[in-house]
Amino acid sequence: MRFIFIALALMALALPAAAQAPDLGAVIAQHRGQIEKPSRQSIGPVVQAIAATGPQGAALLQAWGDRALGLRKSDGLLVIVDGDRLTDAATGADLPPAEVTLLRPNSGVRGVISDALAGAALSDPDPARRAQALDALSRRADASQLVLLRAALDDPDPGLAARKARLERLLTIQHDPDPAARIAAIEGFGGDTGLDFRAALNPILATRRVALETVPPGANVAAELSPGDDISRDAAYAMLVEAGLAPARLTPQAERAMLAQHIQGGMVGGVPLAQLGHDAARDRAWTALESQGLVQPAASEDEVTAALDRFHFLDVYAEPDQTVTDAARAALRGTETRIGLMQAADLSLDALSLASIYFLAAIGLAITFGVMGVINMAHGEFIMMGAYTGYVTQQFIADRTLSLIVALPLAFIVTFAAGVALERLVIRHLYKRPLETLLATFGVSIALQQLAKNIFGTQARPLTAPAWLDGAWTLNDIVGVSYIRIAIFVLALVFLGLYLFIMNRTRLGLEVRAVTQNPGMAASMGISPDRINMLTFGLGSGIAGIAGVAIGLFAKVTSELGSDYIVQSFMTVVVGGVGNIWGTLAGAALIGFLQKGIEWLNPANTLAAQTYMILFIIIFIQFRPRGIIAARGRAAVGA
Amino acid sequence: MRKPLVLRHPSILVFLAVLAVFTLAVTMLSAGYGTGAISTSMVKTLGKTLCLALAAVAMDLVWGYVGILSLGQMAFFALGGYMIGMWLMVARTEGIVTGSLANLPIPPTEAEISQAVATQIFGVVGSDQFPAIWALSGSLIGQLALVVLVPGLLALVFGWLAFRSRVNGVYLSILTQAMTLALALYLFQNDSGLRGNNGLSGLQNIPGLESVGQERLSVWFLWASALALGLGYLMIAWVASGKFGSVARAIRDDEARVRFLGYSVEGYKLVIFVLAAVITGIAGALYYPQAGIINPAELAPIASIYLAVWVAIGGRGRLYGAAIGAVFVSLVSSWFTGGRAPDLNLGFYTVKWVDWWQVLLGLSFVLVTLFAPKGIAGLVDLLEGLRPPKRGGAPLGPDMGALQEREATE
Repeated sequence: MRFIFIALALMALALPAAAQAPDLGAVIAQHRGQIEKPSRQSIGPVVQAIAATGPQGAALLQAWGDRALGLRKSDGLLVIVDGDRLTDAATGADLPPAEVTLLRPNSGVRGVISDALAGAALSDPDPARRAQALDALSRRADASQLVLLRAALDDPDPGLAARKARLERLLTIQHDPDPAARIAAIEGFGGDTGLDFRAALNPILATRRVALETVPPGANVAAELSPGDDISRDAAYAMLVEAGLAPARLTPQAERAMLAQHIQGGMVGGVPLAQLGHDAARDRAWTALESQGLVQPAASEDEVTAALDRFHFLDVYAEPDQTVTDAARAALRGTETRIGLMQAADLSLDALSLASIYFLAAIGLAITFGVMGVINMAHGEFIMMGAYTGYVTQQFIADRTLSLIVALPLAFIVTFAAGVALERLVIRHLYKRPLETLLATFGVSIALQQLAKNIFGTQARPLTAPAWLDGAWTLNDIVGVSYIRIAIFVLALVFLGLYLFIMNRTRLGLEVRAVTQNPGMAASMGISPDRINMLTFGLGSGIAGIAGVAIGLFAKVTSELGSDYIVQSFMTVVVGGVGNIWGTLAGAALIGFLQKGIEWLNPANTLAAQTYMILFIIIFIQFRPRGIIAARGRAAVGA
Repeated sequence: MRKPLVLRHPSILVFLAVLAVFTLAVTMLSAGYGTGAISTSMVKTLGKTLCLALAAVAMDLVWGYVGILSLGQMAFFALGGYMIGMWLMVARTEGIVTGSLANLPIPPTEAEISQAVATQIFGVVGSDQFPAIWALSGSLIGQLALVVLVPGLLALVFGWLAFRSRVNGVYLSILTQAMTLALALYLFQNDSGLRGNNGLSGLQNIPGLESVGQERLSVWFLWASALALGLGYLMIAWVASGKFGSVARAIRDDEARVRFLGYSVEGYKLVIFVLAAVITGIAGALYYPQAGIINPAELAPIASIYLAVWVAIGGRGRLYGAAIGAVFVSLVSSWFTGGRAPDLNLGFYTVKWVDWWQVLLGLSFVLVTLFAPKGIAGLVDLLEGLRPPKRGGAPLGPDMGALQEREATE
């Protein structure tokens, strides 16, 4: 009797949907003890048995998982508690109210229950529950689920139906016993680049490396490796030693240990200890010990070669069927091209976003350094001031969106004022001494940095982006870009437009260009070079402040925020060509794409990427000392 | 016949005399050879300061005399330190490893010793092999040669590339800064072969001199630093005087005109740039055994900018000014940041100098640049009664080089 039930339970485990529905009451009676005191290890068959009994079994499992299953105190009848209502767990009949002791299965047991419920839930009338069940299924799919899924393929919701069909094919690839069905499923995906599809193919193509004297017929061999070419001789021989197929080679450590064991009266094999600091003497001592039979002869080079020749070193698929692995390999190769293209697209997006960050950091500099020729080492600190302005604004205005809207102009005002002050107090006096401007503004930079440290402390301050900037825009598994980066890209475009508008369409821009090209002539025309210089410098600094808010949204706001960008910003302007915004744009694009490109070639090491990028720039300057877009004519003389 | 160098420039004699007196005084007061009034760590600080002064004098040669504001000098300084540090580290580790391996029953082979040394040194970066750049690290002579060669070669290549494409002014400054940043970032990697951000440590222990003791060793290093500073100063003063120096100064003042006169401007610049790099490398090689540790942070661009700050505060364009600036600012800095300076109570706020020193330094730097372009050394002019002609007053026009009011009237 017991055996029959176990067999039933096993059947239920293997083919739950195909199993005949046995009586729920009988199953409960059979497994009563386990139901009352379930354990995660042994509850599986019981749950499957209950699930196999039909909808009432599912209701029981649902209640059990929800901790709504109990025992009536009077007679120990298994009941489902739903608020005040009691129903018989076995039949679903309503019962009069009574005292109930609730069963409390632990989370492991509830996990088993919910998995079993997934099958039933796949055909649940509620689409939300069906979707949930599909999620559960795709997370933990095995052969048994395939049958469940196939039974529930029809779905009124076309979206869910497509998901089910896709999941069914994925499960077919992995678990169907029929190779033809698996190959059909693999080929059905075409050049799909989904992570799930690749994840399904990978276990099929998993290989293990073996050393065999003869290749058994029917072995699904991925590749035969020849020692010395595909696999190093040492590694190949180590495989043989590990498998016990060949004697170990003598390592220096082993030789040393063995020699130490045979010290006799200050000699080893007739060689004095003092001489054993040389390899030749050690070999002599070893040979002597060998001839006395005291040590095992070690494998010589010839023996190693012979052993390596005797064995075949193979990568063997775990999957026995060759047609399946061939199809999987072909499918994977097909996806690889598309994946490569998408990765290139993703990399370009990354590079574009990095370029827009550099552009944003450099655009203020393009005005102060590029147009005015003033080298402002405190530019980075203006970026930092902007970021801290954003942080302080957030302390007063809780609403993130509103605080951002307030912070952007506020940062502009703060850094504009700081820039004007710097220009009036320091830079004005140094227009004819550019190197000293560099040093004086550096003095300002270290003072500002330390000031920020004194006020805000050394730890990073959060500048949190509004919720609508969280998350990422994902095209598929590979291509995606976060909204903040898109926002920065847009901001960079806006600033480019703003710069072009101010410089080419406004009175200020006209005067700025006039003063840069020929201050004497501009002054004769009634333009005050002093005032224009002040405003231009303020404008450049103000833009740095706004860039600071943007950069602060994704980078840590610390007092070193600015100095992290300053060298790159100068590089951007210099590489691009001083005095030309399109040059700055080109410089930012070049540096951004270059850095990402180098990172892609050597992904483990972003430090190296920066090193090589700077080296590249140093060499680039050799060939185009005036940058990508060189200033021409009169403007070049001033720059 | 021309008078000897030191008579033509009496400031050299004064400088050397002051240096000698200083060294003698420190020796007399040191724990190793005198009363012990100056602690060993102070002797080391003074010795390091002399090395920094040497680097500053070399910086002055490049900046004050040729007008190249190099913001990468500390790269040469740190490279010198790394080169000597490699030998110090290998030799010392070898001593320790040989000592521990000697207790084994079978004497170790050379390969085993070198393997153990490599494991000991490179274990922190997950390697047990000597990188190729350590090929000479076993030989003191080899590494000493590298102290000169590596900074010299770097300066030669970099300078040749930069000068031949006529990069100058602020562009050159930014480029030198990029160079030191690139080098620092490279050295920060673990697989750069110089132990990544761990750097080289334990350099204060000189192999073979364990018995001497730090209190006497520190004085030895002080002597060596003073000697290097004296010789370096003499050499730079010699280079900067005479015809060569005149051309160099002319390049600073108007490069194009010198070129049109037929001088090879690039050649002059390159010679001076490389010479300064070599001297800076030697200064570094003396500095880091006193500091005991070197890591890539020493190459950060900020360190080189500080060097420029010292030279500017001291007074660029005259060698003793650079030395005074380096000694003065670095000692005052370490006094303020070491927490020894008393807090300043303003009533409403207590100024802690550890926090505010940087602000003060930055602002005083702006003030020196604006109001005292001659720096501290300008005081010497004041003492001698030298006054520059007062060209002051507002410029008459906004163009570069416009006459200024008083110039026009006088």
